[in-house]
Amino acid sequence: MDIASAIFGFLYQIGDAAAFLVLASAGLAVVFGMMGVINMAHGEFIMFGAYGTAMAVRAGLPLPLAIAAGSLATGVIGVIIERLVICRLYGRPLDTIVATWGISLIFSQGTLILLGSSFPGAGTPLGSFTVGAYSYSWYRLILMLAAIVLLVGLWLLVNRTRFGILARATIQMPQMAEALGVKTRVVYSLTFGLGAALAGLTGGLYAPTMTMVPTMGSTFILEAFVTVVVGGADVFLGTAPAAGALGITKAIFTSWQGQLTGQIALLVAVILVIRLLPRGLSGWILKERS
Amino acid sequence: MTRLSLITALSGILISTSLAADPPIKIGVLEDQSGDFALATICKVHGIQLAADEINAKGGIAGRPIQLIIYDTQSDNTRYQEFMRRVLQKDKADVVFAGFSSASREAYRPIVDQLHGLCFYNNQYEGGVCDANMIVTGAVPEQQFSTLIPWMMEKYGKKVYTIAANYNFGQISAEWVRNIVKQNGGEMVGEEFIPLGVSQFSQTIKNIQAAKPDFVVTLLVGTAQSSYYEQARAGGLELPMASSVNVGQGYEHKRFKPPTLANMYVTTNYIEEIDTPESKDFVKRWRAKFPNEPYINQEGENSYLAVYLYKEMVEKANGSTKIPDIRKAIATGGISFDAPEGKVTIDPKSQHMSHTIYLAKVNDDHSISFPKIWPDIKPYWLGEAGADLTKSNPHTQYTPSDPPKKAE
Amino acid sequence: MSRLREFFSRINGPQTFGSGPRFWIPLGVLLLIAYVFPLFSDDYTIGNVAYFFTWLFMAAGLCLMWGYGGTLSFGQTAFFGIGGYTYGIVTLNFGADNGVTIYALVASVLLGAIVATLLGYFLFYGRINGVFLGIVTLAVSILLERFMAQTAGPQWRIGEARLNGFNGMNGMPALTIPWPGGDISLPAGAGFYYVILSILLIVYFGIRILVNSRFGNILVAIRENPQRAEMLGYDVRRFQLGAFVIGSALASLSGVFYTCWGQYITPSSMSLTSAALPIVWVAIGGRGDITASLLGALLTLAVFQTLTVNGAQYALIMMGVLLLVNVLTAPEGLILQLFRFRFKLSPRSQ
Repeated sequence: MDIASAIFGFLYQIGDAAAFLVLASAGLAVVFGMMGVINMAHGEFIMFGAYGTAMAVRAGLPLPLAIAAGSLATGVIGVIIERLVICRLYGRPLDTIVATWGISLIFSQGTLILLGSSFPGAGTPLGSFTVGAYSYSWYRLILMLAAIVLLVGLWLLVNRTRFGILARATIQMPQMAEALGVKTRVVYSLTFGLGAALAGLTGGLYAPTMTMVPTMGSTFILEAFVTVVVGGADVFLGTAPAAGALGITKAIFTSWQGQLTGQIALLVAVILVIRLLPRGLSGWILKERS
Repeated sequence: MTRLSLITALSGILISTSLAADPPIKIGVLEDQSGDFALATICKVHGIQLAADEINAKGGIAGRPIQLIIYDTQSDNTRYQEFMRRVLQKDKADVVFAGFSSASREAYRPIVDQLHGLCFYNNQYEGGVCDANMIVTGAVPEQQFSTLIPWMMEKYGKKVYTIAANYNFGQISAEWVRNIVKQNGGEMVGEEFIPLGVSQFSQTIKNIQAAKPDFVVTLLVGTAQSSYYEQARAGGLELPMASSVNVGQGYEHKRFKPPTLANMYVTTNYIEEIDTPESKDFVKRWRAKFPNEPYINQEGENSYLAVYLYKEMVEKANGSTKIPDIRKAIATGGISFDAPEGKVTIDPKSQHMSHTIYLAKVNDDHSISFPKIWPDIKPYWLGEAGADLTKSNPHTQYTPSDPPKKAE
Repeated sequence: MSRLREFFSRINGPQTFGSGPRFWIPLGVLLLIAYVFPLFSDDYTIGNVAYFFTWLFMAAGLCLMWGYGGTLSFGQTAFFGIGGYTYGIVTLNFGADNGVTIYALVASVLLGAIVATLLGYFLFYGRINGVFLGIVTLAVSILLERFMAQTAGPQWRIGEARLNGFNGMNGMPALTIPWPGGDISLPAGAGFYYVILSILLIVYFGIRILVNSRFGNILVAIRENPQRAEMLGYDVRRFQLGAFVIGSALASLSGVFYTCWGQYITPSSMSLTSAALPIVWVAIGGRGDITASLLGALLTLAVFQTLTVNGAQYALIMMGVLLLVNVLTAPEGLILQLFRFRFKLSPRSQ
């Protein structure tokens, strides 16, 4: 069973890398892909989700509920930010960089001042299992499962629910939607809130596995941006294959030559893909279809 | 103006000038109180403040009070450059206590040299700085590894795997580990370098399992990299670990849930769990002034004792804060202080400091025990490699593969 | 003679603010103050202002690429690093005598321009634009940063110069001017200040002339509507490439001056945070105009530093609030808004 365990090990590494990319980029994909907002505070939303989850765990909630609570709290913060700041910046993507950069400074420094330089972690549940000569963490499998569920859930939400249809209509043709009676302001707020909640979900999911400091979001942000951009404008068509392709690249190079090579390979892959497919993966897929 | 008021005014001026005859000694403090490094460095400022208060209560340095000029460098190298210039040229500080990462130290060192300032670097680091304008109280590899590695090899076995942060400190520390393992007849079954800011370790955990070492040397720097411990435990890795960096600096044993760090051994010159009477008294005084301090780490204690060492130097130099006088005082070899860790002395050849090295073991419930203590380990490497600041001032940083040339 | 006059008349034009005495007289006064103030000031302030100036070249380059050309490049810090490291490598190998530092400066800027040409060719002739270009340039910056951060070992050296990884390269000599009777070394101080101020002015006027010329007009046309420019027969890619090369070379110049000022260069200068900073400076000032960009960048640098000195832990929060306020109330840039208000006209109606 040596080959089987080697294959399992290999798939595990790929799944782990791809799950990280999917979870890191999901919130950003909604906010950027659907709304055109470049959210430099994405890392801080992830941090809020993690902190919220850890606080809920300390208050006694079991982990899944705590993650949901953290995610929801982050979503609410997202809605508030949208109402206060983002709603004035639609159609000005480059201005959103400056505004969200400012928000990110306020959030991370504010957390440092209010909650101190670190927060006690929650501890990873569920322990480990062995396949062949290696042991693996059950929780990382759950992360992979969560990534898949997230993608499926998001697709269902956007394509099969009323909210999703309203959101797509509002974003594609706001005046038309408004003329048809859609409350576009509410839709925008909720969509941004959804993006924030997804980022919070990522933070909550990874919180048991990471150190909790106000700057913890920074380890996600680069990967999130490159995955979203490689995916292209259409979030569902693009983000999943982008995460998959980049995840495989990173996993292969990391296992071959170490973490640095994996990171460099990821960045080189990003440059190459954009060069070959200037509209990202989804742009290419849409072109191939038509 | 009546004659009475003139006399009053004149006497007022006389009194105030005589009071002003003791200008304060200005100590500049450049530390990261925000940004990535704040976790480990906020208490350095507190250590300096505690020492300054205590010294001022007893009359100051050579009768002059200490005045602290504190800047927040935001974990940003360019801020170190800006503020070192400011604190030396504008504020005219007599001495500066600065820096956490080696990059920040190398950023400000040219400015200290150019403006003829005196600077204390109170952090553990990779060793090798040979610069007459710098005094280093941080621990160096020969103090931490020559004690730790042979002890671990004797207790657990000779097969060693190192994971280290992929930059100067990590690479040089890993080189030290490699050399010491070889000297003691051991075998490096693997070495892995992790870029800073990485927080996902599944592949690394797999590699360690494949190599089957007897213990793992972890030289992880930064809060992202310390996520390794949680992930390793969750992944079923239960090997003993040895480190010179974690626990003593970032108090991971307080932040992670037990038993994540169980069986971890750290060589540090100070942590707040040390239960000697001096240490207990020190902790009590610290917590009286800073009740909300999350942890008193080795950098906090280094910063505290550095203020006292500076007091020693100035008083031995007959109250002068001029650098040639201070260096003469250091060259006598007698600058010492009874610090909370034990007695520490400045070595004149390298201007580094001897340390008492404590071996801290993290137990299953994350309490700390001390299986071994090495008193008075000197920073011998620079002197043995041929550097001697009493004779020449190269203004540079050496590494094991780039040592000072032996004098002819 | 008339060609020369025509050349210099481009200092004023449709793409830059200010053409009459209402603009030039206050600016002239400002320049006079800039030249004279070192006589009344202390070493620290002179060195600090010179430090601010080192960043302004990068801001100018970004203004050209982004404000006039519409290309948002996150890669300014990559070229900053290339400039700084090249200067360090050349001067650590060849010393400071015989004007080597000046050759090093020129070589660094040239190398930056060459790399920019290659990268720009890759980008523009591959039809990469908008946010995709931003991400690719960001990826290049971070790639360089990650790569350089691990070059700590002794094998990473170019001649005598060790790259020294994350700790950064130091020990390179300051800018040294060869002079009969003894070379003049210019560490951060009055001499360096005058050199950098003068070069800054040359760059400023140079950009004014450039953007008001045919090149600049076409660049702005491309920014407004690339398809129309293409239809009118202009090769859009060539102009974008030109702006990108000049802008990136200016970033390399920034890197060289920073390295001369502090005798130090490090990979952290190319990090994600550092890459976003030039964008923030230029956005606050107003990317649509070179004067607004430069003044805005200078103001932002000074304000951020003052906040850090005096605001302790709240400095970063106040900076964040400042950015928000700026974007929400003066989206085109604070300085540009001020100009509009003061001159009571829009840039096209001159």
